Amino acid sequence: MKRLPNAWRYLSATFVLAVLGVAILVQIVRIQNSPEVAGVIDQGNYVWKDFYPPRGEIYDRHGSLLAGNKTVYEVGLDMTVKPDMPTVMLALQMSGFDLNEVNYRISQVPANQYIILDDFVSADKADQLMALQKVAHGDPTGKNLDAIYFKAHYGRSYPENDLASNVLGFVTEDNHGYMGVEEKYDNILAGIPVRIPVPADPRRATEYPTIPPGQTIILTIDREIQSAVENILDKALANTGASSGTIVVMDPRTGEILAMSSTPRLNLNDYQSIKTVFPGETPFNRAISQAYEPGSVAKILTMAGALDSGVVKPDTVTFVPQFIVVGGFKIFNWDGGAWGYQDMTGCLANSLNVCLAWVSDREMGSASFYSYMQRFGLGHATGIDLAQEASGRLKLPGDGDWTPVELGTNAFGQGVSVTPIQLVMAASALANNGQMVYPHILYAQIQDGKQNNTKTQIVGTPISANTAHTMSDMLANALESESSTALVPGYRIAGKTGTAQIPLAGGGYDQNNVNASFIGWGPVDDPRFLVYIWLEKPQTNKAASVVVAPIFKQVVEKLVVLLDIPPDAIRLQMIGR
Amino acid sequence: MNNVTQIVQRVRQAPWRIQRQWIGLFLLGLVLMAMVAGIYLNVTVRATLAGRESISLQSMITTNQRINADLETQLAGLISIGSMQERADTMGFQPASPTDITFVAVPGYVAQSAVDLSMPGVTKPAVPIILPEYTESWFDYFINQQASSATAGVQP
Repeated sequence: MKRLPNAWRYLSATFVLAVLGVAILVQIVRIQNSPEVAGVIDQGNYVWKDFYPPRGEIYDRHGSLLAGNKTVYEVGLDMTVKPDMPTVMLALQMSGFDLNEVNYRISQVPANQYIILDDFVSADKADQLMALQKVAHGDPTGKNLDAIYFKAHYGRSYPENDLASNVLGFVTEDNHGYMGVEEKYDNILAGIPVRIPVPADPRRATEYPTIPPGQTIILTIDREIQSAVENILDKALANTGASSGTIVVMDPRTGEILAMSSTPRLNLNDYQSIKTVFPGETPFNRAISQAYEPGSVAKILTMAGALDSGVVKPDTVTFVPQFIVVGGFKIFNWDGGAWGYQDMTGCLANSLNVCLAWVSDREMGSASFYSYMQRFGLGHATGIDLAQEASGRLKLPGDGDWTPVELGTNAFGQGVSVTPIQLVMAASALANNGQMVYPHILYAQIQDGKQNNTKTQIVGTPISANTAHTMSDMLANALESESSTALVPGYRIAGKTGTAQIPLAGGGYDQNNVNASFIGWGPVDDPRFLVYIWLEKPQTNKAASVVVAPIFKQVVEKLVVLLDIPPDAIRLQMIGR
Repeated sequence: MNNVTQIVQRVRQAPWRIQRQWIGLFLLGLVLMAMVAGIYLNVTVRATLAGRESISLQSMITTNQRINADLETQLAGLISIGSMQERADTMGFQPASPTDITFVAVPGYVAQSAVDLSMPGVTKPAVPIILPEYTESWFDYFINQQASSATAGVQP
């Protein structure tokens, strides 16, 4: 076979092409696996985009929405297209924007950039501006609003405005929860924002990651009871002239908070006014954040401890003189008088300080007394699932500032500070067969379509069931014997008033003002509710039996209707069937 | 016979014939390239349109979710406790007191319990919908194939 004369040319060309082809392949492989490719993401082929999941919703125990989400807008202006500023400013003014704020924002950003004019703009306001933009679009003189951009996103909304505001808390524009449930459960409500590269090239469009929304939660709060309690509290403050008030309603069997009201309240849709509504050091929720000397309502704990330890019985009779000396100091009764022979029910019914100081000092002794107070949880935060809980203070023997007289005064709630929720938790032992329940506000949380209910937690059994029943009977008898204005016809209720002096910062007690409280539960044989009421500095009358007991009655009258609790006679008859 | 052979030989070796062969080859190459380019363009356009539609649908989903949230909140506002009480007052209703209520024993009646918002059937969408075959390159494909065949060859 004859060889072609130009064969070497073809061979050379083939060789060059083959080398070129291999070089191209090698280069493709190298580029695909090189770190530079990752860098391309940052060079404009991809745009990093933040995906914020919608914040979890908050419902009451019957499914009414207490906190949800709504659409709000970020309104921006693209200065690179040199918009007609007089037209823009006029449109903003007509839509209700604050021009001073807009001008300030424009001045803060270098020219020829995108400027955020306002954020969290309501849909109504944005719609108004969008309508103007539509009208001005295509204006032949160039006086249009095409440079204005709208970016929709979620904002928090509270359909019930200030209802249960002290419990809910609020969410600021940075999507962080503050106070109450919004702060306590911020991590699960907020969800996890995701930052992913979104390809600018639509050919590279890929599936967005599934961004799980914040978890929905259900509270133990019953909005009907909450509303009723808030109305009662507002009227009580108006009628008594009290400076503030708190009402807590709990199911003593489970620890579920059915209502928690505290003054003042904040319209959560206008949380920016918090500093006006809560001036200075005003607590956001007094029920958990303000510790105070409770006074005589604490006597139920002293008596429960004494009965449980066996040092006294309900029919134990003692002589109650005008005063008793404890730790070198004289302790007087509330009226300064002597009350003669009294049994323990009489001591509670007449709220005799001398009797309770005798019980703690002479009968129980400091070790036993303080052991019981600690078992009731005094001096420690309850751990309720709300932000900003205070722990109060129970001074103990051995503490630097404890004095022996406090064994007597602590017995009737002086010299010891507690929050309302602490007393509610402690009293739950008396209403719940000696078992103290953990107070909580979270009924359930929804995750992946499943509802996980919060289980009842028993945090201790400070007293026996027998002692609890005995105490409830004694307190019910005490109310009945004095024909208390707290009593509700048809229902047997246990309860105790408390009128406490207010300690002054410099020592001593305020002679003009008191804290008036009431704690009670019912029906006595099967408690469904436990109510604690505290009015700070009532002006019309200082006696809790006069100013607070009727409020307790109003609350219970609402509760028995809203909780479907028949009068005792009917209920027992039904059970008998 | 020789003449015929010579003529054929000449025709075969004629410059115009060689040029025509080269032109034919070039045109064939051009047509092939055009076909490849056409297919590539077609696939690219379809991918682009699908990508645009995907982005548009995702945007619509986001918008609809926001609208749902808006409507839910608006509804909650309309049936809020304040609104309902106002409407009840307007219609002449009054809050019931304990003495207004007559309790009747109804066998089998179950009292109202707390809400259950669980949604049966809702599962966590953890698995991506787009299969890797639609997104991986040829090199990824070959590497994956090699890796999977290598794994398949390993005895436990």
